[in-house]
Amino acid sequence: MKEELEKIKSKGLERIKEAKDISELEEIRKEITGKKSELSDVLKHMKDLSNEDKKTVGMKVTEIKKDFSDNLDKKKEELIESMSVLEEPIDLTLPGKKVNEGSLHPITQMRNDLNDAFLSLGFEVYSEDDISSEKYAFDNLNFPKDHPARESMDTYWIEGTENKEGAERLCLRPHLTGGSVRYLMSHGAPARFVYPGGAFRNETTDARHERAFVQYEALIVDKDISFSSGMVMIQTILEKVFGKKINTRMREGFFPFTEPGYEIDMECLVCGGKGCKVCNNVGWIEVMPGGVIHPNVLKSAGLDPEEWTGFYINIGLDRLVMMRYGVDDVRLFHSADLRFLKQFK
Amino acid sequence: MRVSLNLIKKYIDLPKDITDKQIAYDMTLRTVEVEDVESTADKYHDIVVGKILELKNHPNADRLRICITDIGEDKPVQIVCGGTNLYEGEYVVVSKPGSEVVWHGEGEPVKVKETKMRGESSYGMICAASEVYLEDFFPSDNEYEIVDLKGVDCKPGDNIADIVEMNDTVLEIDNKSLSNRPDLWGHYGIARELSAIYNVPLKKLDTYKLDKDLPKYNVEIKEKNKCNRYIGVEIDGIYEKESPTWMKSLLSKTGQRPINAIVDITNYVMVTVGQPLHAFDKTHVNGEKIIVRNAKENEELLLLDDNSIKLTKEDLVISDEADAMALAGIRGGKKDSILPDTKGIVLEVANFSANTIRKTGKRFAEKTDSSIRYEKGIDTQRVDQGVNLALELIKEIFPDSKIVKYVDVYPNKTKNNKIEVTEEFLDTRLGKKIDRKSITQILTSLGYEVSYKDKIYDVVVPTWRSTGDISLKDDVMGDIARILSFNSFEAKPIDITIEHSINQREVSLTRRISEYLANRCGFYEIYTYPWIDEKYINAARIDTSKSLKLTTPPAPELAYLRSSLIPGMLEAISKNLRYYNNFKLFEIKQVYEKGDYRPSSEDEILPIQTNYLTGSIVGKNAKEIFYELKGIIEEMSRYNHMEDIELIQKEKPAWADKNAYLNIVKNNEIIGSLGLLSVQTMNKSKIKRTNVAIFEINMEKLTPYKSRTNTYERLPELPLVEKDLSIIVDKDIKWEDIINPIKNKVKEIEFVDEYKGNQIPEGKKSITLKLKMINEGSTMTSDEINNKMKSILKVLNKKCNATLREE
Repeated sequence: MKEELEKIKSKGLERIKEAKDISELEEIRKEITGKKSELSDVLKHMKDLSNEDKKTVGMKVTEIKKDFSDNLDKKKEELIESMSVLEEPIDLTLPGKKVNEGSLHPITQMRNDLNDAFLSLGFEVYSEDDISSEKYAFDNLNFPKDHPARESMDTYWIEGTENKEGAERLCLRPHLTGGSVRYLMSHGAPARFVYPGGAFRNETTDARHERAFVQYEALIVDKDISFSSGMVMIQTILEKVFGKKINTRMREGFFPFTEPGYEIDMECLVCGGKGCKVCNNVGWIEVMPGGVIHPNVLKSAGLDPEEWTGFYINIGLDRLVMMRYGVDDVRLFHSADLRFLKQFK
Repeated sequence: MRVSLNLIKKYIDLPKDITDKQIAYDMTLRTVEVEDVESTADKYHDIVVGKILELKNHPNADRLRICITDIGEDKPVQIVCGGTNLYEGEYVVVSKPGSEVVWHGEGEPVKVKETKMRGESSYGMICAASEVYLEDFFPSDNEYEIVDLKGVDCKPGDNIADIVEMNDTVLEIDNKSLSNRPDLWGHYGIARELSAIYNVPLKKLDTYKLDKDLPKYNVEIKEKNKCNRYIGVEIDGIYEKESPTWMKSLLSKTGQRPINAIVDITNYVMVTVGQPLHAFDKTHVNGEKIIVRNAKENEELLLLDDNSIKLTKEDLVISDEADAMALAGIRGGKKDSILPDTKGIVLEVANFSANTIRKTGKRFAEKTDSSIRYEKGIDTQRVDQGVNLALELIKEIFPDSKIVKYVDVYPNKTKNNKIEVTEEFLDTRLGKKIDRKSITQILTSLGYEVSYKDKIYDVVVPTWRSTGDISLKDDVMGDIARILSFNSFEAKPIDITIEHSINQREVSLTRRISEYLANRCGFYEIYTYPWIDEKYINAARIDTSKSLKLTTPPAPELAYLRSSLIPGMLEAISKNLRYYNNFKLFEIKQVYEKGDYRPSSEDEILPIQTNYLTGSIVGKNAKEIFYELKGIIEEMSRYNHMEDIELIQKEKPAWADKNAYLNIVKNNEIIGSLGLLSVQTMNKSKIKRTNVAIFEINMEKLTPYKSRTNTYERLPELPLVEKDLSIIVDKDIKWEDIINPIKNKVKEIEFVDEYKGNQIPEGKKSITLKLKMINEGSTMTSDEINNKMKSILKVLNKKCNATLREE
């Protein structure tokens, strides 16, 4: 009897060991511990045994059952551990499923980035209409009467108004600055706002020149501020765009609507200021004009220049986006060409 | 403008040890943009004087000679040359191996190598003037003639740059950055800036002592508002001859072509003090009288090349008693030319009003060195500088010349602007206290007269800055700031006072919608031009009666400005179809139409300008893309937190297919449309073998919510029961006919699919809907569910004759 039990035990353990999957294991569990198992048979035939033997065999059977149960559980753990949800291995080098396509225009992305940065400095976002008049595009901005920008070689005038003057002579705005006066007229001072928008100039186009482009203007008007406060705006923009502090320099520049006015250069990122092809060997790249708002411009916005002063910068977003990604042809921005647009996720 | 540092150094002593690059940098930061620093001797490297010791015939070529030449090295070298004017003992220009020459004066420079020519070795070459940048010094019409240095003080081996006085540095200044600075259009003005930047003294210009008892030359100014001053000097003993090398070299470096001594003197004066001059051959002046007058209508001015230009009454001319001789301040005519028979001149040193020159110059679309300077506005005092320097030079170059007549007609004198600048103003606006000494020193070196009393600077602006440049205290402040350098002021933080948070709902809505389309719905944003190709306007059948046009469009077919974004979208689709079959595009821009819109002031009437949004889905399956686009519009309000919009068929857009369009409606007003493009519109815009679902919407009619509006709904305690129901109805029964009668009976109805085909009788279609049901308070039993379904089917049978589709 004892040998028989030992045989049952070793046979059972052997079977557990050889089980290949969970269902086989469950089958085995039934076979070796169930009602029709050899162990159950042994118990069924116990009545023929002496009390002494009954006790020994009973204990032995319980022990074997526990052994079986432990081994079965252990084997189950093992099998689960080695299981896969896949029937067979898959090619892990196949590409993943594409996410939804679509993206904002790279200039819109840049504009949104800048808006977020300026919003955190308490600037409002302003927008104005594309079509303006000579009065707002030039007269208010202290452009002399015979400034060449007023010519049709430079500005797109609206048919039927080209020979009129001032508020009656209409154009596609050649720059955003005229809109700044509109904002100041309606909102008054103090003011701080940014102003993104399209501007249009009658130009011969090439890889660096476009007829339609996007500008971003930022303006502060307040009492008793010095022009050096404006440098913070410049740093904000560049840090946001390039993700690190960028060295800048300000140099003399002339614009009718500023006094003083300056050109703002940033250190060439390609050569780090040493001079290379990209920066024409100067080490600096012109990024934006800026300056103190000319008293005559404040006057046309109905503000007293004795009381108020302001600082302004105007940056070409096309140019900035070109620098951000290394785009070499400005005309791509208005091409609506998906081969280009799909690159800016 | 090109600036010679040698000439600058005549007027100031630059600080020792300063590099040319540093000068360029300092000027760029403080005054004008220096685009390039050019060492003018560079191009003459390894080009030296040679002396031909022996001339031999070339054994293998008739036209070539072998020149044994002393080039100042240990022993003579052999050079093969084809020049027609070679002789023994001739001093010539030799480009040694390593130098660069321009072959026959054309094309890019080429490096010279030691080489063999027809079997004979040649150590470099003997050059013609045009090959080594010497045409200005040794003009020659014959390209086979080499430069003969006869009469030039030189010896073999001398660098040619020294011989022609080209050892110099030229700063190339961006003319645009000079546009508001008439005082800088001459070297003396640049020297003045450098004297302020480096705080070194500026030397005074020479004055010429003129005999006061000279007889007067007859000059009459008829237009006193156009000609502010006219000095006429009649000089005898002037004839056509070459200028000395130093003058040729200066002109060559500053971009002027040497012509003859008298023309060169006028140009030299112009580049030095910025005052244009003009010399007339005295015998050409009819009646010995100069009249400054308006041209007669259609009067003609004869030019040197015998062409003539037609003038108008607006133009100012310099005339003698017979005809116009020159277009004042712009260009001369045939009559003023210095010719081989010239014996004397009348020298004009005048000041014309900037406006006059600009107006006339614009008509002829021509800028000359003279007109560029006049149109910026030159002070009348500069005439004196011009006269003085010119007469000095004439005395030097034509020692036998004699001034015989002189006149100074001076109707308008440039007045100094006077400005009061308070110390407080400077302190606040500069953001930093600058001491009185520095301010006075900076302003004085720029030519201002400064006096200080009671914390106020009384500033007298120099005449050369009083012609429009400096008129306000802000201008004076700008001058101080730039000379100190803008970079010497530290960035000051901007104070933030928080009065309220920025909440611009319209701005946010536009951004949300664009992000919804791009990020959630898979659209690419495009930018198109506001001017639209007429082809696409016609294709979209857009009415142009209210459209605006450009006076000078980029191309004739691009005159119309967009009154709808659809045509631009059509063009974008048509272009992209070359590379892609399925794509989605959108654009947010303004459209324009004639109207009365006064955004800022009553006097300004602008056209109506409205922000619009358009979007399109391109794909083969028309039905599929239509419903996809419809879904995007339907979900727009909810996802973008704005007031609801409805889709109702009211009015067909011109571009839409007759069977597939809907209007976007808000408060009973049509604010946009969506639909499939009609076959006609697609054909006309070359959109082939595909379909397009497209929409446009007036962004300004959309109303963003003040905040998010939906309220939270408690999660159901019991599970929803979902049941699919397939019914068969007549083909023209609409979805709305089906759901309207039953939507109150269940919690939610979803559309699953629509089927027409073999398994369904003719004229019928099958619709499958998913019904979601729930009981309040207890789980639905299967009996309850079956009863519900039965009652729904009964309603559908009654309302739209629906029958259950048997599986």
